[in-house]
Amino acid sequence: MLLLLTIGALATPGFLSTPSIVALLTSMSFIGCVAVGMTFITLSGNIMSLCLGVTLSASSLIFISGLAFGIVPALVLAIGFGIAITACQGFLVGYLQANPIIVSISALALMLGTADLITGGQRIYPPGDGLDILTGNLFGVPVEVIFLISSVGIGQVILSYTRFGLRIYMVGTNLNAAQAAGVSIWRTITGSYMLAGLFAAIAGILLSARYGSGDMELGIGYDYDAIAAVLVGGTAIHGGEGSVLRTLLGVAVVSVIQVVLLLHGFSQQMQYLMTGLIVLTVIMLHSMGEEHS
Amino acid sequence: MSNSPPHRNPLSNTPILSVENLSKSFGPVEALKSISVSFHSGEIRAICGENGAGKSTLVKILTGVFLPDQGTIRINDLVCHLGHPKVAQQHGMAMVTQELSLAPHLSVEDNIWLGNSIVPLFHRQRHLRYKARQVLELIGLDSLDLSQPVGSLSIGERQLVEIARMLARQARVLILDEPTAGLSDVEIDRIFNALRALRSNGTTVIYVTHKLGEVFELCDAVTVLRNGKLVRTCPVKEMNRESLVHLMLGRSAQEMYQPSQKTRESPMLVVKDLQVPGLVTNFSLNVSSGQIVSIAGQIGSGATQVVRSMAGLVHNATGSVQICGNNVPLRSVTGAQASQIRFISEDRAREGIFLRLNVLENLIATRLESMFVAWSVLRDIATTLARMVGVDDSRLEARAGELSGGNQQKLAFGRSMGRKQPGVFLMNEPTRGIDVGSRLDIYKIMRKLCDDGNLVVMTSSDLEEVLGISDVVITMYRGAQVNCYTRGQVTMHNVLTDITHPQMRERKEEL
Amino acid sequence: MIFLKMITHESIRPFTVLFGAIVVLGLVDRGNGNFLSVATAFSVLQLFSTLGLVSLALSLSLIVRGFDLSVAGMLSLAGCVAVLTGAEHPWLGLGAGLVLGLVAGILQGLIITQLKIPPLGVTLGGLLTFQGLSYALTEGQTIAYPHYNLALVLTKPIGGFLSYRSIITLGVFLLIFLVMSYTRVGRDVMATGSDQHASRIAGVHTDRILIGVFATAGLLTALAGVLLSYSLAAASPVALSDVLVPAAAAAIIGGVSLGGGKGNPLGVAAGVLTLCILRSGLNAVGTSPFVHEIVTGAVLLLVAILDAPSLPRRLISWRLRARRI
Repeated sequence: MLLLLTIGALATPGFLSTPSIVALLTSMSFIGCVAVGMTFITLSGNIMSLCLGVTLSASSLIFISGLAFGIVPALVLAIGFGIAITACQGFLVGYLQANPIIVSISALALMLGTADLITGGQRIYPPGDGLDILTGNLFGVPVEVIFLISSVGIGQVILSYTRFGLRIYMVGTNLNAAQAAGVSIWRTITGSYMLAGLFAAIAGILLSARYGSGDMELGIGYDYDAIAAVLVGGTAIHGGEGSVLRTLLGVAVVSVIQVVLLLHGFSQQMQYLMTGLIVLTVIMLHSMGEEHS
Repeated sequence: MSNSPPHRNPLSNTPILSVENLSKSFGPVEALKSISVSFHSGEIRAICGENGAGKSTLVKILTGVFLPDQGTIRINDLVCHLGHPKVAQQHGMAMVTQELSLAPHLSVEDNIWLGNSIVPLFHRQRHLRYKARQVLELIGLDSLDLSQPVGSLSIGERQLVEIARMLARQARVLILDEPTAGLSDVEIDRIFNALRALRSNGTTVIYVTHKLGEVFELCDAVTVLRNGKLVRTCPVKEMNRESLVHLMLGRSAQEMYQPSQKTRESPMLVVKDLQVPGLVTNFSLNVSSGQIVSIAGQIGSGATQVVRSMAGLVHNATGSVQICGNNVPLRSVTGAQASQIRFISEDRAREGIFLRLNVLENLIATRLESMFVAWSVLRDIATTLARMVGVDDSRLEARAGELSGGNQQKLAFGRSMGRKQPGVFLMNEPTRGIDVGSRLDIYKIMRKLCDDGNLVVMTSSDLEEVLGISDVVITMYRGAQVNCYTRGQVTMHNVLTDITHPQMRERKEEL
Repeated sequence: MIFLKMITHESIRPFTVLFGAIVVLGLVDRGNGNFLSVATAFSVLQLFSTLGLVSLALSLSLIVRGFDLSVAGMLSLAGCVAVLTGAEHPWLGLGAGLVLGLVAGILQGLIITQLKIPPLGVTLGGLLTFQGLSYALTEGQTIAYPHYNLALVLTKPIGGFLSYRSIITLGVFLLIFLVMSYTRVGRDVMATGSDQHASRIAGVHTDRILIGVFATAGLLTALAGVLLSYSLAAASPVALSDVLVPAAAAAIIGGVSLGGGKGNPLGVAAGVLTLCILRSGLNAVGTSPFVHEIVTGAVLLLVAILDAPSLPRRLISWRLRARRI
């Protein structure tokens, strides 16, 4: 399937041009950051969150309005907000074992409602400029891509080389066994959610810097792309199996498909459809593979 | 049941069910080797044997779950092919497993008719309700409210509802697999009475058990299997306890256990007033290291709860637990582990080990002392531990789920071993579902732990095991401690009386 | 005390909550007549028609422990299909929408039961696919439906507070209630949700039941989508995607348990009515529309917390810790 995709991509005129590759990489970065965050939630056995997209949007609002105090306070505020929001959800899910999907959709409604109440549903713009450092190039590489690479790197190191990472796997594959082995369930799950919030907030900051505005519609669709990427990468939907690097592969597949569709003149709308079909296919392939082994 | 056959003298006349030369293999393993046995109407037949003797294979062939490789099955003298559970059911074969097939949210009546093909689309019908009441009366459950949800019944009552369902399906041969596991004596009596009522009604009851007492109390005849072969079928009257054990094991029971080498004097574990509301009342204990302490009790006696409380897994446990004079915090697994408590669960798949993680990760799960993971160090530790418990150390990367039950249990042990400080090992049913070979290994490990200065506290429902391995036996009944024996004082009779009818003994003493 | 126990009993609770919501909003309104009026009743029932069937579909899937996320996508897809195919003949559009819902539900059920995939994963794929399909069909635009008079007929008040649309919805609720309570099929659905493994051993065809439930969920959602689009005389792929939050909230308020095996269409109806009354009531007493979303979200969060399996355990440990035992 990867081969097919590569051939399809290479056969697409204009795919190999520099602007389209840069566009691909930046769009990968936004999806990638959210997907890295989503990976932690899925690995910890909590399936997925349907509110990371909204967390992204809300952090973009916070970031843009925080710019009044300077860029560093704005960054701290936005990231702190993202982490705090998901930490609350993680606590409910981990400590009380509340249903993760229900918690995430209620958080979605709460955040949308509150944000709309405050902004009146309007887009907000930064007070001045100074966002250039977040949109420029560093050593000829777009800043977004650098953020993506570091997010993936940090995420993978956390999973593979820290006690916390190993505990996420334990909690994800078998909650009761993890508890009997002395792992604090709620701390591990809350931690995974906080990481998800962190990466969603980073994506929000990058996106708002790119568009020069903060907006509740910025994050629409990112939940689904991220979930698609996580699943395409082969992280098991029931938790405990998978990795951030695999998610990166999934992000690449999802983004390449979207760019190829775009270059072939398919509308944005077709991309939604493709994402859905990819998710379905991958889940089915994965489960069939599991049955064989 | 209206069309019940006339009562016949058991062990005579034509059998209602007979099998001839039945064989079944799973790959290279021969589970059943040419077994011939017959069953008569109106008898209760025990089937005994160790784990792996072939009891469940035989039963599954009779209920159509497995197809035999060879041999014939006759029902009422007609050769039958029971290729599918449905076919077996139509021939009147019915099975009640330990794993009940009741839907807890549904009412008693709905559960009795659940899955029955004669129920019409509009199922709230008077004659069905009447029939349900009838079968319940037959097994002595007249007082049960038909509209009560099954989830609110006791385990024994659920067992009986399950039997009632089989009767509603016109079962002629009722197969029960360890039906009294987890039941109180009152409930066991109810089940026994129900089964006796069925016997006098002409139903054949096949009773799979390893509780020898039940064989002698309830059954008319016993069929003993060992290593897939039929050892003997004979009337219970002609047997006694020793001869039955000998038939089952092919040897006497004591050889498996090694006695302890030495004991130390200073108390290691002191428990005072351990309480779990509704489950354990005022449990106290004072034992020194280097011993195996067994807490014996039926399910519901609180024995497993005592162990789980000390492991920090019971959220409403109160009391005081001290190890070597240091207080152990209750209700916290982390706190218990820091106080050198190591818990080995009875339910490997659910909370014992991580089936989907590999052997290495399972072995080091409880020894992640630092923030960052140094894999090379952990690999060394895991290799040492694997050798210590006798798991092949070339399989560190294999998924734990691919290992045999015995090896999985060794992983659970290995995870807790190899520490510098001696500790208290807590384990529930350490040899549940494990083959005889691995069982021996595990007993050796347990004895080794004691020799290294640890303390082992275990529960077991296998009384032979309790008597064979323990240095101290504590008996429990309905949440309270009954007695405490040391090796040499303890007898099977004492333990059995304590855990089943302690008050009877007290009464005798009063007299 | 006995009274308190009775009104908070599991099967009565949804109705207690509904009654409470009416009383509270009535008090807030303080006899201004904005809330307790026939007009409010009418608008509540119109809202009910949109949300009710989706919530019922979601509830059926929750009863068998399968969270059918795809209802949110199917609602808009069925609406779009009906508007596109039914331009000439409304019945054709209705038929196309319903068949689509049924087939999609059966397909999802087949994938879940035959490939043994967790329902959540499959219905998530379904949600994305349906949403994508409706975007692709409409090219992301709102499309108008030429039969305006049909919209008028469907939403014309009957007897003050009913309309054809709400009558159809109420009828479907009644039908599902009868099936669930009085037929063997309903019993088997409850059994499957209560304990799937046990039911299979007992001889219930749990796979057929699961496929049937997902097919029914698809059908009900499609019906809701078609009715909504016809009565708005328009279909749009976006506007309807935020139906999931209130539908889930209504189901859970209505006594459906996330653990499966529990739930009753009448309770769900009460749950949906509660939410609709909150919404209409807040409208009637003049609060901002954004507040609705917050209120719905807060209600759902509260219910998720109260329904959390570890809550009682945690409360006991807190109490013990406070007493320092």
